Amino acid sequence: MYLPDFDYYAPDSLAETCEALERFGAKAKVLSGGTDIIAKMKSGLLSPGVLISLKKLEDLKKIDYVSGKGVVIGALSTHNDLVNSKILNDKYLSVSEAAHNMASNQIRNIGTVGGNLCNAVPSADLPPILIALGATIKLVGTKGERVMLLEDLFTGPMKTVIAENEILTEIVIPDQLSTGSNYIKFGLRRSGALAVVGIAVAVTVNGGTITEAKIAIGAAAPTPIRAREAEKFLQGKTISDDLLAEAGVIASGESKPISDIRGSAEYRRDLIRVLTRRALHKAINEGHV
Amino acid sequence: MSKDYAVIGKNVPKIDGREKATGAAKYAGDLKFPNMLFGKILTSPHAHAKILSIDTSEAEKLPGVKAVITHKDVPALKYGISPARWDENIFCIDKVRFVGDKVAAVACIDEETCYKALKLIKVEYEVLPAVLDALHAMDEGAPQVHDEYPRNINTEIHQNFGDLDKAMAEAHYIRKDYFVGQRTYQSPIEPHSAVSIWKDNKLTIYSSTQSPHYFQYYIAREFGLKMGDVRIIKPFVGGGFGGKLEPTGLEFAGSVLSKLTGRPVRTFYDRHEMFAHNRGRHKVYMELTTGVDKEGKILGVHANFVSDGGAYTSLGVATSYYAGGLLTLTYEFENYKFDMIRVYTNLPACGAQRGHGAPQPKYAFESHLDNIAKDLGIDPLEIRLRNARQPNTVTINDFGINSCELTACLEKAADISGWREKKGNLPKGRGIGIATGSFVSGAGYPIYRNDLPQSAAMIKVHEDGTAATLYTGAVDIGQGSDTALCQMAAEAMGYRYENMKIIAADTETTPHDFGAYSSRQTLMSGSACKQAGEEIKKQILDIASTIMSLPPDDLDCRLGIIFSKSRPTAKTITFEEAARRFFVLRGPLLGRGVYHVPRLGGTFKGAAVATSPAYSFCAQISEVQIDEETGEVDVCEVWDVHDCGQVINPMQLHGQVHGALYMGVGEAIWEEVLFDDQGKILNPNLGGYMLPTALDMPIVHSELVESYEPAGPWGVKEVGEGATNPTMGCFNNAIYDAMGVRIDSLPLTYEKVWRAMKEKREGKKEV
Ligand SMILES: Cc1cc2nc3c(=O)[nH]c(=O)nc-3n(C[C@H](O)[C@H](O)[C@H](O)COP(=O)(O)OP(=O)(O)OC[C@H]3O[C@@H](n4cnc5c(N)ncnc54)[C@H](O)[C@@H]3O)c2cc1C
Repeated sequence: MYLPDFDYYAPDSLAETCEALERFGAKAKVLSGGTDIIAKMKSGLLSPGVLISLKKLEDLKKIDYVSGKGVVIGALSTHNDLVNSKILNDKYLSVSEAAHNMASNQIRNIGTVGGNLCNAVPSADLPPILIALGATIKLVGTKGERVMLLEDLFTGPMKTVIAENEILTEIVIPDQLSTGSNYIKFGLRRSGALAVVGIAVAVTVNGGTITEAKIAIGAAAPTPIRAREAEKFLQGKTISDDLLAEAGVIASGESKPISDIRGSAEYRRDLIRVLTRRALHKAINEGHV
Repeated sequence: MSKDYAVIGKNVPKIDGREKATGAAKYAGDLKFPNMLFGKILTSPHAHAKILSIDTSEAEKLPGVKAVITHKDVPALKYGISPARWDENIFCIDKVRFVGDKVAAVACIDEETCYKALKLIKVEYEVLPAVLDALHAMDEGAPQVHDEYPRNINTEIHQNFGDLDKAMAEAHYIRKDYFVGQRTYQSPIEPHSAVSIWKDNKLTIYSSTQSPHYFQYYIAREFGLKMGDVRIIKPFVGGGFGGKLEPTGLEFAGSVLSKLTGRPVRTFYDRHEMFAHNRGRHKVYMELTTGVDKEGKILGVHANFVSDGGAYTSLGVATSYYAGGLLTLTYEFENYKFDMIRVYTNLPACGAQRGHGAPQPKYAFESHLDNIAKDLGIDPLEIRLRNARQPNTVTINDFGINSCELTACLEKAADISGWREKKGNLPKGRGIGIATGSFVSGAGYPIYRNDLPQSAAMIKVHEDGTAATLYTGAVDIGQGSDTALCQMAAEAMGYRYENMKIIAADTETTPHDFGAYSSRQTLMSGSACKQAGEEIKKQILDIASTIMSLPPDDLDCRLGIIFSKSRPTAKTITFEEAARRFFVLRGPLLGRGVYHVPRLGGTFKGAAVATSPAYSFCAQISEVQIDEETGEVDVCEVWDVHDCGQVINPMQLHGQVHGALYMGVGEAIWEEVLFDDQGKILNPNLGGYMLPTALDMPIVHSELVESYEPAGPWGVKEVGEGATNPTMGCFNNAIYDAMGVRIDSLPLTYEKVWRAMKEKREGKKEV
């Protein structure tokens, strides 16, 4: 296990970062916390000739609330920044909790939100909850910037729409109508385990009725997915145990998990059934937890 | 027995605690020598392949590369730790036998150059079909891993004691069950490293080893050196658990590289390479048939096992004998048949892992016994009490048991866990299980045949009496033997622990000891240290008697104070005064001790394995909470009650129980080394290999029962491995109690529990 040789740049500005990416093209890779990319390079899965570090882009390390926009999370915020953010704790504890249940403290101290999203592995823990909350992302490149829904970022395992000269700069959780959200990660041990499946939900409850539901699932398909059939099924319905259980069954049917060392497809589908119900239950009864 | 000890039985601070906690302690991989080179081994990417050619020329041209070696540069003599089956070469000659087999090595000016150089070595392979499934290794036409071992049979055991057919014919009830274990790896926190220095005709190796003696013996043998010209030094070691008992490619390749370059060479494994070198637990396929009478008394047992040994023997011959041999310890029965075949496969070699050979058969047997108890309507605790081994008995396979408080362990475990209140009364999803264990307090015979004593020790008292140094070959690999042995020496001397120093595990300066394996050191090395301490005390009292003008018989020494036993008011003198006087008048004050095991065991084939001067016993009860929908297993609480004789250091003892339980819990629920269909490890890292984390550990209650072992110094016996024995079976029984499903393979993963519950619901499987 040894890092292959590479050239290293740490530009001072966003513009220079994008220019550098443009200049080196396919042989360059962005380096954020490095917890994914360095491991891949050590094991020989990747050998970029150039690493372009984002570490000097101080502006991307903030978590702010901007009224009229929502909670703005800079791409370089670490998992522990999410865990400890007062804004998130107050508004969307579900996001802080999702970050808290990731990896180990060491990794949470250096791994970043941007890296977790851009790495685009199906089991990543942050995409489901952010998707359920309708988060948008901003991509900045040499030709300008674009904003899109986070769920449109992913195109396949470790594949995104990000262009070679682009970086992800911020994630925005828009102001919500939703009344509750929750993420349940099912890992094979209590710390340092990747998700066998991860289920996030956000629900808008009015009286005893669900007016809107969003369900996003990780490790259930080549990319994080929305369980749109289950969402549709819930819309406008009166809350009952049976209803939530049925939503779980539908969500499970929408998933297309694979079998790997962490679990069989059959097991994953059943977990999705059970955990969708539990996550809905929690979001309905406990708010954004 | 007087329990009024001054030093033993006390929680003295660990002798190396400060150095380790502050990071000052140096492990083999931390050592630096002037001019030192770095060495790495090139390993095979194929599970089974012929080596057609090796071209090292490009690697040799790379700046910074000082030597490149292959099988042509090293002795062709086969080695191994089991003398009956030497089957390894330093580098593969004609073919490679697993992904990770050793092919070549480099010595370079730094680590980075090593990796670059390895990439430049060109090996041409012809890939051969591989044996990856132990159950098909013996098939007609299966590929041959070693030509010398037809049908890939590495070890074959057929033992028959008493009259099993008769017992089965008379049995009220007979049950057969089938269980499968899994491959696990010790995962010591410290990776294997060695620094080899071959200068003139002397070879010195600093190595992360559990046994300098075996390293010295095998390395001298391989290179045709005199043992006296091979010096093995153990620096601090960060855990072994059986995986560091035999020399590896690191020591062999490092030595040759050092000889060729004339420079010290540090060789090391990374985490992936550790998994590939392996020597972890065998996966055993276990069929058990047991006949019992109406009361559940065991009449006879047939154990029929196959194990996956991997590509080489390692300690696997002993492991195989242990697998069945140790099954006779905890329960008394008079008829026993044990059949076992260990096969070669094209996977990393398996060896000895904490509880050597015993934990998986114990998992099978404890699950099997619970099945029988259920079939007969007997409480699991009750069936164990009815069969529990009693003191001063001999097992059917000729192991002499002196002390044995298994019944007391069971009773106490039941009491402190609330077994009788809980059993049958817990809510669905919550369950409680029970199991027992037992282990040797040191193997009765060394690994290769020799007549050396098990252990020897020396104590030198400093000239002014203010310190004493214990010289022992015993090996502290984190378990705390340096501390315990200093306590024992100080107790025997009548001295203070705080003034003890220790020099250990260096073949040139310390007396012989076989090392840290088979839970042998407290009893065996402790015996030698006690004797050495007593010899000091005798001499110190002798000189004191002249100073104090009292007969030596009337004197005693305790915590460094020499006093008259009959005249409590007589003036005392200090150990220091007497020691100083001794040196002035008689020269160095030295004590020596030696420990031989008496001849043990029967005369049948394999009778020597699992003999021991003493056996520990323990009972475990565990409570689990099962998520009925997901199968998630929460290992809530464990009660371990041990019969380990006199305790030398309670804190270290309970530390051993916690550590053994940690490994047992991991093997029970989480750990398994997985392979793809080409024999490559899928999870050779601590992210993928699921060791439990602190958050996953149950609440542990470690308790003891009164016990005295006549074969041990002050009555001591084993603790370090015994507590791994019951754990997997114990959890399986708790899961059964919680959900009524029996998981018949390890580990007891969430998915397996989920599947078993599903099958039960769907009526597919009745237990
Ligand atoms: C021991 C361990 C445990 C882990 N456990 C978990 C876990 O429980 N859950 C989980 O989800 N993940 C886990 N991970 C994976 C990893 O830590 C996270 O995905 C982390 O968030 C990655 O962030 P990073 O900043 O380290 O990314 P990096 O490694 O720096 O980058 C990852 C990828 O994203 C690209 N990238 C990074 N930032 C940007 C950007 N702003 N714009 C464009 N591209 C970018 C990089 O080029 C690279 O391809 C674990 C990793 C380890 C080593």
